[in-house]
Amino acid sequence: MLTRRNLGLVAGGLSLTRLGSPALAQGPRGQVVMAQQAQPPTLDAQVTTAQASRNISLHIHETLFARDEAGNPQPDLAEGVDIAADGLTYRFSLREARFHNGKTMTSADVKASLLRYGRVGGSAFIMQPVEAIDTPDPRTVVVRLKEPSPGFIAGISSPRAPCAIIPEEEAGKEANRVEVIGTGPFRFVEFRPDSHVRLSRFGDYVQNTRYRGMDGFAGRKVANVQDILIRFVPEAGARTAGLQAGEMQILEAIAVPAAERLKNDRNLQMHEMMPWSFQTLMLNHVMPPMDNPVFRRALQAALDLEEIMAISTDGLYRMTHGWQHPGTTYFAGDVGKPLYNINNKDRARALLREANYRGEEIILLGDSSFSNHQATIVTATEQLRSVGINIRTVITDWPTAFSQRTQRTGWHAWALMLGIEPYEGPYGVVGFFSGHAPVQHARDEVIDDCQRRLSTSLAEVDRKKAVADFQARMYDQAVAIKCGDVGIVQATRAQVRDYKPYRIPRMWGISLA
Amino acid sequence: MLRYAARRLLTALPVLLIVSLLSFGIVWIVPGDVAAEMAGPTATAEELARLRERLGLTRPWHEQLVGWYGALLQGDLGESILLRQGVGSAIVERLPVTLSLTFVALAIAFVAGTGLGTLAAVRVGKAADRAAMGTALIGFSLPDFWLGLVLVYFFAVVLGWLPTGGYVPFAQDPLGWARSMLLPAATLALSQMGLFARMTRAAMLEVLRQDYVRTARAKGMPGWVVVGKHALRNALVPVVTVAGIACGVLLGGAVVIESVFSLPGVGRLIVGAIQRRDYPVIQGGLLLTATIFVLVNLAVDLLYALLDPRIRHGRR
Repeated sequence: MLTRRNLGLVAGGLSLTRLGSPALAQGPRGQVVMAQQAQPPTLDAQVTTAQASRNISLHIHETLFARDEAGNPQPDLAEGVDIAADGLTYRFSLREARFHNGKTMTSADVKASLLRYGRVGGSAFIMQPVEAIDTPDPRTVVVRLKEPSPGFIAGISSPRAPCAIIPEEEAGKEANRVEVIGTGPFRFVEFRPDSHVRLSRFGDYVQNTRYRGMDGFAGRKVANVQDILIRFVPEAGARTAGLQAGEMQILEAIAVPAAERLKNDRNLQMHEMMPWSFQTLMLNHVMPPMDNPVFRRALQAALDLEEIMAISTDGLYRMTHGWQHPGTTYFAGDVGKPLYNINNKDRARALLREANYRGEEIILLGDSSFSNHQATIVTATEQLRSVGINIRTVITDWPTAFSQRTQRTGWHAWALMLGIEPYEGPYGVVGFFSGHAPVQHARDEVIDDCQRRLSTSLAEVDRKKAVADFQARMYDQAVAIKCGDVGIVQATRAQVRDYKPYRIPRMWGISLA
Repeated sequence: MLRYAARRLLTALPVLLIVSLLSFGIVWIVPGDVAAEMAGPTATAEELARLRERLGLTRPWHEQLVGWYGALLQGDLGESILLRQGVGSAIVERLPVTLSLTFVALAIAFVAGTGLGTLAAVRVGKAADRAAMGTALIGFSLPDFWLGLVLVYFFAVVLGWLPTGGYVPFAQDPLGWARSMLLPAATLALSQMGLFARMTRAAMLEVLRQDYVRTARAKGMPGWVVVGKHALRNALVPVVTVAGIACGVLLGGAVVIESVFSLPGVGRLIVGAIQRRDYPVIQGGLLLTATIFVLVNLAVDLLYALLDPRIRHGRR
């Protein structure tokens, strides 16, 4: 079922962009101003999974492999990789690349960067299978694994906390202590906290000639604008006003009602991205009565997920049950679908009786920093009260809610939007519910086994089976509740040519009219 | 006067000590830490624990307290975890923005407010009085953030006269600075303008009933001289006291305005630090804000004495 407002938006198509815009022929020129809500917590690309950092750092930094428009890994700084039949040795050949400090990238830089990522990386677990890294020559890196890890390339190509290749001399530094030096099409100029980051076109950038055009975070990156100013504008109305006034050319995101209002403005273009993320309710399995799967199923049955999605997303949503996006490699089809969005109050009451629920207080945890989290909690509260569940709603700021959810007590359900994880494939999503510290606080042997099979099976069919089993378990045991897919609208001035919406507002490939 | 000022400064020290203790304690009581911000919303517990360790957030509180006061005694407010910058320099860098905003707003509020209040008092009971007080009431009632967005829409989007936000340093471009300050300062000023207008009106009505005003009028002195020279000066004494309070309110209100207009000021720095749990910035920022409040109050007391010759604090 697909439900979304007809915004009349420019389609967020995923076809490759043609190369060679008129502006390219005239040479790079102009400054593009992009506005985003938050400022980056750090510009150390490897350390953080924050979107605000990723928007900036993926213009500066590149990775060995990067995701294409469809989210699949493609060579970026690597020319390619030879994977041994036993899945234990990865031999990367490197393309020519130059750092912003003028140094040519070598295998020593790559090795040092990968090792640093294993120490400080935001997704350092992807380096856990690595036994050793060799550099037989300046253009070759050989990574030897302790055990097969078919998700290795997916991991090092993920933009979540990018495994950025930085100069060897920077790689010895601690988190948040590096100079911002990459190989990307734009170089770092200045960071004025609470105000802006300024980037400038890197004149010596070595384009990846394997590709004809831009392709996700990979492809041929052509900088047609001379400067990029990324402004931090916390107030949504001020961002919209800045776009309308022409002070900003690109908005990372515009509120759905504003997009609706401005869709006919000839000076502006709205670009819809669907899906952008999942809206979820995470459940704490160690807090009674949530430790009882029957009680969790009662929640699953009671919730009207479409109402939650409609309210929490301003109408830009899609009702899909999958814990992977439809159309991607690991989408598990109809597995679990009968248990999605049941919205049957009688069944919920029956399950509550079966669970022997006696009116224990259930704490729903949300935060006001992300409006969709708060709206999800408020709406779910009313729905669960209507079947007789004794709900206490706790709305805090984000750090407090996040800190609380890491505790085993003090919350039963927590609203969280998962954005980059489903985009990057099954590893992050399954990983969230498995391992030593799963989000639900109680280890689930079946999910742990799915994670193990996903991480070690060399055959794709086996890995797909592992993801399907994971999804079945998620619904059967009501491990957590997926509410639906959330969309986002990026906005540009009409003068911005060849803009294609993606996980971040990409400012390579565009030009200014 | 000097002795009085010195005594007031000394009495401020315990206040600042308590503020520093409270700011340190609050940071330990409030849940969450900077690692959550740095790692991002979907970081796992394992990733968080590792980052906390690397950032030194797992050190015991007494160790951090000793470190905090040790550095403070040397004039060092510590280093921001996220900004990679000394807290002192981060604050100093942003002070011109907040002080510009506060004092321009104060000037607008004071001039417009006392003008409206005087007009209302002189024309008491007439249409001008009702219009002035109505304006003051509207200014007092409108929420800052809403008014700010409305002004941005009209003056930046519709008319294109002023920027939607951002800050231009005075030294770089005085005209640009004025343009960047006008909307936020006017927005911030409006509520306090209402306060000044009401205070001025009340004080002026009191003063205008005094014998010396009647005498001045009886002597044939022009009305504007009576009001401007004799009445207003005396009426301003309580208004100046309010100015001290207003200054504090404006500093607090600057937090919201800085967000609406994307101004990189101290308020936004502190609020951002609170949201991200950048403890050294919160502690340093609170201490600095308390210091500014103390100094502003002291300045108001001294100004009070200067305006009213009968008041001689130093001799009491």
